[in-house]
Amino acid sequence: MHIMEGFLPWQWCLVWWIIALPCIMLGMYQLKKVLAIDRDALPLLGVTGGFIFILSSLKLPSVTGSCSHPTGTGLSTISFGPWITAVVCAIVLLFQSLFLAHGGLSVLGANIVSMGIVGPVAGYGVYRLLRDTSVNIYMTVFLVSALADMFTYVTTSLELALAYPAETGGFVSSFILFMGIFAVTQVPLAIVEGIVLALVFKYILALKPEILIRLNIFSKEKIEAARSEI
Amino acid sequence: MAHNYTLEILAGIAMVAFCALFLYTSATMSGAEFAGSDNVGSGLIAELSGTPLENFQPLIPQWEPPSGEIESCLFALQSAIGGILIGGVFGFWYGQARRKAAE
Repeated sequence: MHIMEGFLPWQWCLVWWIIALPCIMLGMYQLKKVLAIDRDALPLLGVTGGFIFILSSLKLPSVTGSCSHPTGTGLSTISFGPWITAVVCAIVLLFQSLFLAHGGLSVLGANIVSMGIVGPVAGYGVYRLLRDTSVNIYMTVFLVSALADMFTYVTTSLELALAYPAETGGFVSSFILFMGIFAVTQVPLAIVEGIVLALVFKYILALKPEILIRLNIFSKEKIEAARSEI
Repeated sequence: MAHNYTLEILAGIAMVAFCALFLYTSATMSGAEFAGSDNVGSGLIAELSGTPLENFQPLIPQWEPPSGEIESCLFALQSAIGGILIGGVFGFWYGQARRKAAE
C-alpha cells in the first residue's frame, strides 16, 4: 500500500498530511490518557503494536502474480481504537520510509491515512456494530482485521486515482485500474490475516482477560462465555 | 480439561491453502514476477500520467538500501522488533497468570 516517494504531486502530499496530523495528535493524547489510567494497558499495546510491526514487514505473494503485505492493524483497532493505531502505524511507516525506501517523507501523510486511519476507522465501525450483538468474538476480530486490511488498499487506490485520473473515464476508470492492482491482490492476504489475528485474540483472552474487561473491549459476560469454551 | 482447537485448525488450513494458491499461481500464470504491488502501482502511475518512470524523483531526498541483502536485513529487523514485543508480553502474562493461580 505504500505510495512511493515522488509519485504523488506535492499538493496531494499536503492534503493527506493535513488530514493525518490531527488524527495522530488525537492518538497521542488518547495514548497518554490510557497509559496514565492503566499501566497494564502497556503490554497489550506492545502485543497489538508488535503485530503491526511483523505483519507489515511480510511481503506475501498473491493471485495476481505480485506481492503485497498485510497491515496487522485489527487487534490494535479493537483494543485501543483507530487514533492510537494511527500513531503506531506512523512509527512503522516512518521506519520504512527512512530505512527501506518504502514510501517516503512527502507521501508519509498519504500512507498514514490509508494504513493508519481509514483502514482502522472502517474496522472500528464494524467492531462497534458487532460488539454488543450476539456475534462471536472471534468472528468480530476476523471481520475487523480483514476489513481494516482491505480498506487500507482501497484507500491507496483512491489516493492514487484522485491524483492521476485517466484521460478517458477520469477518476472512476483510474480507480478501477488501481483497485485491480492493490485490492484484488489483497483479498487472500486479508482473509488469512483475519483468521490469524482471531487466533491471537484467543490467546490474549486466555492469558489476560482482566485487561480486556477493564478496557471494556468486550462485555464481561461475553468474555467469560468465550473463556469457558477455550 | 478438553480443549477446543477449532481456530488453530482453521488457521492451519488457511495457511496451507494460501501456500497452495501461491504454488498454483506461480505454476500456471505466465509472466508472474511476484514484484511488489507498490512497484506495479508506480508503473500504472507512469502509464496514466504519460511520464516515464525514471522522471519521478523523490520530493524529499531519500536514503535507499544499497542492495537487496541490506533491505531484507532491515525488514527482518522490523519483524524481530515485533516478535520480541509479542513474545516478551505473552511470557510476562503467562507468568502473571501462573503466579495468580499459585496464590
